[in-house]
Amino acid sequence: MVKLRDAWLVGLFVLVALACFFSPAGLQAAEKKEIVIGTPLPVTGVASQEGNEEKWAYEEAVADINAKGGIFVKQYNKKLPVKLVVADMESDPGKGAGAVERLVKIDKVDLLLSSFAANFVMPTAIAAEKFKIYYHGNTCFPVVWRGAHLKWSTVFFFELDKGAEIPYEVLDTIPAAERPKNFALLMEDTADGRAFGGGLAEAGKAHKWEIALNEPLGVGAKDYSAQILKLKSKGIDGAILFASGGDCVTFVRQMKEAGLNLKYLHGYKGTWNGDFWKALGKDASYVLCDGFWSEDWPYPKGKEIGERYSKKFGKRSVAIGLYYASCQILWEAIEKAGSVDSAKVKDAVMTTNFKGTVMGDVKYNPDGTAIFPCAAFQWQDGLQKTVYPFERSAGYKVKVAPPWDKR
Amino acid sequence: MSRKSLLLLIVIIAACCAVPFVFDPEKSYVVYFLFMASIYVTLAQSWNLVAGYTGQVSLGHHAFFGLGAYVVAIMWSRHLIGYLDPIGFILAGVAASMLAVLVGIPLLSKLKGDYFALGTLGLGEIMRLITIQLGAFTGGPMGILLPSSSFGTILPHYFIALFLAVLAIAVTFYMARSHIGLALVSIREDEAAAEASGINVLKFKVLSFAVAAFLAGMSGSVLAYYIFTVEPQGFYGLNWTLYPVLMCVLGGAGTMTGPIIGGLLLTAVFEIARYFLPEIHPIFSGLFIILAIMFLPTGIMGLRPRTMQREKGGVSIGRLLTKRAKGE
Repeated sequence: MVKLRDAWLVGLFVLVALACFFSPAGLQAAEKKEIVIGTPLPVTGVASQEGNEEKWAYEEAVADINAKGGIFVKQYNKKLPVKLVVADMESDPGKGAGAVERLVKIDKVDLLLSSFAANFVMPTAIAAEKFKIYYHGNTCFPVVWRGAHLKWSTVFFFELDKGAEIPYEVLDTIPAAERPKNFALLMEDTADGRAFGGGLAEAGKAHKWEIALNEPLGVGAKDYSAQILKLKSKGIDGAILFASGGDCVTFVRQMKEAGLNLKYLHGYKGTWNGDFWKALGKDASYVLCDGFWSEDWPYPKGKEIGERYSKKFGKRSVAIGLYYASCQILWEAIEKAGSVDSAKVKDAVMTTNFKGTVMGDVKYNPDGTAIFPCAAFQWQDGLQKTVYPFERSAGYKVKVAPPWDKR
Repeated sequence: MSRKSLLLLIVIIAACCAVPFVFDPEKSYVVYFLFMASIYVTLAQSWNLVAGYTGQVSLGHHAFFGLGAYVVAIMWSRHLIGYLDPIGFILAGVAASMLAVLVGIPLLSKLKGDYFALGTLGLGEIMRLITIQLGAFTGGPMGILLPSSSFGTILPHYFIALFLAVLAIAVTFYMARSHIGLALVSIREDEAAAEASGINVLKFKVLSFAVAAFLAGMSGSVLAYYIFTVEPQGFYGLNWTLYPVLMCVLGGAGTMTGPIIGGLLLTAVFEIARYFLPEIHPIFSGLFIILAIMFLPTGIMGLRPRTMQREKGGVSIGRLLTKRAKGE
């Protein structure tokens, strides 16, 4: 056995070594050689699927701008390459502040790019606020972000109340005789699930849809038979399901096993990923999903980004356009600001009309939000067909799901 | 704790106090690292009091930690207390202690060994669900967002966390060296014999549980004041129990210095792994813990030759659980 004269020395050694390693003197560069962009993402844990998708899009955007020599920054009178630093927040909102702390104090980032979803974006945006570093946010409901009165961040996303109206607007396009009669909300028991569930219930009332059942779903539950039995007993034939990818797959599988056929199933959060189709095959047909973007939409470079993603992962994404566009906006804002100073970059974001991003033209509102309409897609033959916004659906109309044996 | 250890402790505290004046607290990560390490040392030391000294392996520390954070968040968001308000810290500790007494009396009188551990494990989950269900009062699943504009510097947070760590060490030192400590150790070694000797077993078990909860609750409030976002997933996360347990076990449970060494060492390991192995750090950290527990079952303090060990009483938590389960 190793002999240690005093175990205290171990602690002291670690402390001193760490202090020396993390001391700023060794890390600070004398001359600005690159723009360091940090992003606190959930790359491990339950939200890693979404976190890694966002990471991939950020990395692509960084590679693309660096292939052009970087961003011209007037303050340094030269083009500077972009370096992306990812800090894992382990799908734990409580670790968001620590992730930002590492990015700011060890990696010395100039600016911060968004995390994924409100419960990860808010803690990290608040942490950025402490250091007065600009946080270029997305995927956070503006209503949640506005409530925190943050000065050093902006948000690029859709409004919760508008997003909640989409299923009902889509339902209204179905001929009256085919529409579901009894409708249910199945909402994941999380911050987003509860917030969105409230919005969906309100929107349902406004669209004169009676919600026959509003049921919370446990995260990661392996058995949804209790909820499925309730749906059957109440004669539910249409539902909105808000849950993560694995839970949505489990739910649809158990729904089929129990012989429950929903004419209309609109999934949020968990049905958009290509893995949903891979796991369920044709059983995923007719299920709707949300999304932010489609490579089929007529925006510059959209098709190219989509194909790159499909080539690498063998599936399509309805989210990467938002992440890529966030980077395009930030690069342009840095160039317009002529500096990486947070106040100047934020000011440029707020005042610039961003033309021709992969999400189309983007303009921020005076409150720091840039809003785009949430989309809805329907799974058909492994592809997400645009259903909403109607003007981007290229004539495709939502279809009611036939019985399981006829799919 | 020997005179030498006490002297070393004083030197370390003095060094920690000097750190923010050597490194720029707003730019250097060292200050944040020591801030987090202090919180972990407090949690590990408080857990040590219950498990290491009293022999009651509690897995509900995250319930007290989260409650402490929520007490501060709820009161501050309603302007009942201010930013870094001492009343907030004290109330956070008191609320956690009250919860510990409330659940401690039935749990500690009826459950033993791993049954007690499982009972306390459920406490954290119950608190998380209650917090979510309370809706607007606790902010539901989104939690409470606190005004980050109040933040000026990490320094007050750092010194408060350091003070708490010292307080946890001092409280453990006092309790271990007083008649309370004798009672706690006798309960750990043989509960029936302790009871036969006239020790009010339940009273002392609840006392150590409540004191540990007080320290855990205050730790939660310190972090809440620093990160400005108090939400159920993060603050009632099992990590706030498991990490301190690992730190305590790795350093040496049932010793005064074990949780300090374990706290500093594991915080450093986790931070370095997160930085250098961003995508596989959970695997690395997990492996480190498995190897450490395999080869150091009595912790780092157990490495010292018996003749050199001035702090007696270090225990293996595995042995403790087995012993309790057998009803020995």
